[in-house]
Amino acid sequence: MSIGSPSNVTQAATREIAGPLLELTDVKTHFRTARGLVRAVDGVSFTLERGKALGIVGESGSGKTILSRSIMGLLPTKGTERHGSIKFAGAEIGNKTRKQMRGIWGKEMAMIFQDPMTSLNPLMKIGDQIAEPLKIHLGMSKDDAMATARRLLQDVRIPEPDRRLQQYPHEMSGGMRQRVMIAIAMACGPTALFADEPTTALDVTVQAQILDVIAEQRRDRNMSLVLVTHDLGVVAGHTDEIAVMYGGKLVEKAPTRRLFAAMKMPYTEGLLASIPKLEQVSHTRLNVIPGRPPDLVNPPKGCRFAPRCPYVSHKCLEEEPPLTVTPDDPAHSYACWYPVGSPEYHEAKARIATSAEAN
Amino acid sequence: MTDVMTPDPTTTIDDQVDARFKKVRRRRIPRFGVLFGMTFLIVLIALTVLADYLPFIRSPETGVKVNGRLQSNYKLGPGYVAWWGTDGNGKDVFAKCIYYARYTLFIGIASTAIGLVVGGALGMLAGYFRGKTDRVISILVDCLLAIPALVLAIMLVSRLDDIKAEIPFLGWMTRLWQIILTLSILAVAPLARIVRAQTMALREREFVLAARSMGAGNSRIIFREILPNLVPTMVTVAATGLGILIAAEGALAFIGVGIDTSWGFMINANRARLEKAWWATVFPCLMLFLTVLSFNLIGDNLSRRFDVREAAV
Repeated sequence: MSIGSPSNVTQAATREIAGPLLELTDVKTHFRTARGLVRAVDGVSFTLERGKALGIVGESGSGKTILSRSIMGLLPTKGTERHGSIKFAGAEIGNKTRKQMRGIWGKEMAMIFQDPMTSLNPLMKIGDQIAEPLKIHLGMSKDDAMATARRLLQDVRIPEPDRRLQQYPHEMSGGMRQRVMIAIAMACGPTALFADEPTTALDVTVQAQILDVIAEQRRDRNMSLVLVTHDLGVVAGHTDEIAVMYGGKLVEKAPTRRLFAAMKMPYTEGLLASIPKLEQVSHTRLNVIPGRPPDLVNPPKGCRFAPRCPYVSHKCLEEEPPLTVTPDDPAHSYACWYPVGSPEYHEAKARIATSAEAN
Repeated sequence: MTDVMTPDPTTTIDDQVDARFKKVRRRRIPRFGVLFGMTFLIVLIALTVLADYLPFIRSPETGVKVNGRLQSNYKLGPGYVAWWGTDGNGKDVFAKCIYYARYTLFIGIASTAIGLVVGGALGMLAGYFRGKTDRVISILVDCLLAIPALVLAIMLVSRLDDIKAEIPFLGWMTRLWQIILTLSILAVAPLARIVRAQTMALREREFVLAARSMGAGNSRIIFREILPNLVPTMVTVAATGLGILIAAEGALAFIGVGIDTSWGFMINANRARLEKAWWATVFPCLMLFLTVLSFNLIGDNLSRRFDVREAAV
């Protein structure tokens, strides 16, 4: 068997049903706290086709992790309010209980977590941790499960899989452990994989390898991927579509290429501008988006990004912009009154330039 | 990991470094305290188990005789014939100390085991499910902790006799089992408390969430993910707790509500003659002291090793 081919061929057979795999309509996740209702996710809608990769981008506190956990149904039930509809392969899962979700977890949806140093059980051998879901969900015998675990380790490009199966998590590096996490998530052949900042805790050199492994597995298994990250560089090469989140809302969504070429939201522009560039002289001041993410208990009136937006005008502070589709590309939508490229945007930009010169 | 001097060509440099570190760590001599504790306990347990077969340990029931005459009334002091002297009935104090260790150790281990199972289960339930379960268990545990341990123990032991007389199927409940039951009730509260705290911390760990995201149910998470990670804490608390329970057993015997075959009972029986025959009191005291000390030293070392903070014990 060649490295990288799916470990379980039968799993791919069920993937050919038409219709989007994931369909979110006005999903809201609110937490009741002492300070009031925290609107962590506030009306997010999108669809994800089978086999496609969606990147969810946003800074800390924008609700991207909560959104992915809401879809998985992994949030604590106490003090959480969930609204809206989440359809998975045509079936509503937004209102399912934990017990009902257990049949979906692992087999249909799986998740990779941010910190591989803490997401493996420190007292269980790697092999046992991969084999356990195989034995329980797929009813494999111990030997079959171990053989599959070995193949999974090969799939995620871990050298000497036989030795690794017998090792404990502390005997491995962060990159290795994240590969093991991917192998565990892959074990039962899920149709959708959620990766919650899978590379944030890793070395830059290892990041690319991990992303490649995820991309490879996605292609081989015809699996959908939701990649949650704050790093636009991470999503750029590995997703078909990007959704930008801000203050619990979706503010822009576009095919990856288009988002980078023709972004509409000033927030997206700010995110992109904040990435340091290679051609810059060293010690160039890094670009930042001034201010902080909005308070999700009392979100600002109007556009949530308005208080931090350099091009803000009166209307932005008063009325909330709806998510609108661009006229030239139906896949591209944004929530902004005066998007990048509009006459008002250029006007504001010119104003900023002159005031900067005046100083 | 094979020999460091001839590295296996398939192992990487990292592995060799790992192996070297492991060797260094293993070579470190354990602290004096834990070495002493382990040695004392191993020797004590060996003597206790083999007491029937060892020629130098007399039966505690037959008196020591010299030239056919019973050495009663504390006649023999520590010496060649009876190492730790004889007591008021002419019995060998050393033999008694060794034989009685059987009861003491059995009581300590049995009640710790019961305490571990019950306290561990309560603590895990409370810490894992939180909410109402936690509230009920916590109130129970707090109540148990609030009552002075010795008062509770005396009360329980004296009541258990009456209960035993009334309920027919409790015939197996000899004084020994009454003590075990009482002490295990004392052991439950602190164990439940510390296990609860640990479980609360563990259930928020990412590997538990990861297991849940793979479809693991509550029982699987509790037994496969949380329980194994609780073992270091439980072992540590149990080791220290064993010392405390053994001391408590001695205390119960001393005040006369415990069993007669106990160091505490010996101390009480002979303390009136402490000035004339110090050996009959001092040696049981010494045994009790060293046993409790050994368990504490081991417990301390374990808690340092596993980084367990003992809030409750």
